[in-house]
Formats: sequence, structure tokens, C-alpha cells
Amino acid sequence: MTLYWIGDAVLLLVVLPVVVYLLHGVLGAARSIVPSVEAISAAAQAGSKDLDATALLLTTQDQATRTVAGVANYGGSLDVILDDAEEAQS
Amino acid sequence: MTAAGVVLIVAVVLIVAALAWYLIWTIVALSRITTGLDRTIAAVGEIIAKSAPVGEVVTTINADLDAGVTALEGLLVKKAGMPDAIGLVDGLYPGAGEAGFRDFPGSGDTKAPRIAEVYTRGVLTLARLGREAPIAAASPEGPVLRDVSRGAGAALDLYPDVRQTRPEKLPRSPVIGTGAPVQYEPSEEPGVRRHMPGRAAVLDPDGRHDADAGTV
Repeated sequence: MTLYWIGDAVLLLVVLPVVVYLLHGVLGAARSIVPSVEAISAAAQAGSKDLDATALLLTTQDQATRTVAGVANYGGSLDVILDDAEEAQS
Repeated sequence: MTAAGVVLIVAVVLIVAALAWYLIWTIVALSRITTGLDRTIAAVGEIIAKSAPVGEVVTTINADLDAGVTALEGLLVKKAGMPDAIGLVDGLYPGAGEAGFRDFPGSGDTKAPRIAEVYTRGVLTLARLGREAPIAAASPEGPVLRDVSRGAGAALDLYPDVRQTRPEKLPRSPVIGTGAPVQYEPSEEPGVRRHMPGRAAVLDPDGRHDADAGTV
């Protein structure tokens, strides 16, 4: 009978507090992750929305190509119209 | 059942209840984490998909712009000569002449002439006005006219005693015309006022001048 009482005391005074302490720590850690994950999710969604403008890069690419082509045409004409530096000096 | 057995059962029930309580709330927290990670993974997937072609497009744009820079630098050097080309660039962007042209190694060592000695003042003014163009605003160091250390307004500091530094010491320009604060009546004879300010008529009936009459 004495061993039963000793077992009861161990359960109530040692095992139960240890179990509660450990589970409380696990629950606290799990709950602390939730805000971080939600913040990361919001940031990723905002970043994805910001990248919607990347489609405009195709327009920029086309504009740059056409602008450089126009500059090349003007440069070719100027090359014909203007004398070279050596020719102008001579 | 003995009292010790009852206490044992109560202790076990308490332990199981604590386990259930904490584990249920842990499951709830983990499910929230899973939901958040699902949303995150979806958004990250979108980011990867949207940014995939960026590298290729930007590389193409840079290649086109490099070709343009090469062509323009070559044309400028060919037509103006290396010293004048460096001088023009240095005149537009002070200090940029030291960097030289990208496709002409060693061009930065070229002694840039004073741009005002090479080109007329009008051409230099036009070139400076060109710095206001949008293409000049894309300078790596920013728009020149917005930079007090490189702006054309810095030249005004060469003469610190003129109007732009002390406007409060200079009189305002006179106001003339019908809106002028002082109005003068037209005179009947050249150089003779009909009335002095605040006085009566200055000409008597026989045409002699009053003693207070003054010449204008």
C-alpha cells in the first residue's frame, strides 16, 4: 500500500508537472511560428504582385531595340554628312 | 477500491487531460502554419515564374544599349577627334572625361581641352541645355542641373556681389506706363512742367514761368 501512495505522489508531483512544462513549451514554440509564417506569406504575395510589371520589360526591350536602330540610322547619316576630324583639320 | 487507487486514477486522468489540451492547441497552431506555408509557396512560385525571363530580357536590352553606346562613341571620336570628344564630354559632365570612352582604352588619359576654347559660346550653351533632356537625367550621378556642385548655377558664384546673391540690396525696376505710381501730365512746352508735384499751376496767364517752375 505504501508503494501505491509513493507512486501517486510521483505521478502528481513529478510526472504531471514535467508533462505540462514540456507541452507548454511545444505549444508556445508552435504559436510563435504562426505570425512569422503569416508575415512571410504576406511579403511573398506582395513581391509577386510587384513583379507583375516585369511583363513591361518586353515593351522596354522592343523600345530599346527600335531606339538603338534609330540612333544607328541617324549616326549613319551623320557619318556621311559630317567630315571626319582628320579631314576637317587637313 | 482503496484510496490509493482512486488517487492513481485521478493522477492519470489529469495527465491525459493535460496531454490532450496541449496537443490539441499544438495541432491548431501547426495547421495555421501549414496554411501559411501553402500560401507562401504559391506566392514564391509566382515570383519564380514571373522573374524567369527577366535575365534574358535585361541582357538583350543591355546588349542593344551597348551597341548604341559603341556606335555613338565611335561616331563622336571619328568626327570630333579624341581630344575634342573628351572635352565635350567633360564639358557636359564635369569629371567624366577622366573616365574616358569605354571602347577606347586609354582615352581617359587624353588631356581635355577647355571646352570654351574649342567651341563657340552658343554651342556650349546648347550643350548645357541638353543636360535638361530626359536622357541626361539618366546620368549615373543624377541630373546635373539638380546638383549644386555640378550645375551651371555654380558658375554664378564666381561673381558673388551681383544680384543673385544679394537681391535685397538692389532697387526694384521702375514701374512705367499707365500703371505707374507717379503719373506726369503732358507738358505744353518742351522741358516745362504744367504742375509741380503738390503745387498749383506753374504758368501764369501771360506765359511767364512761375518761380517754382522747374525744367524737366
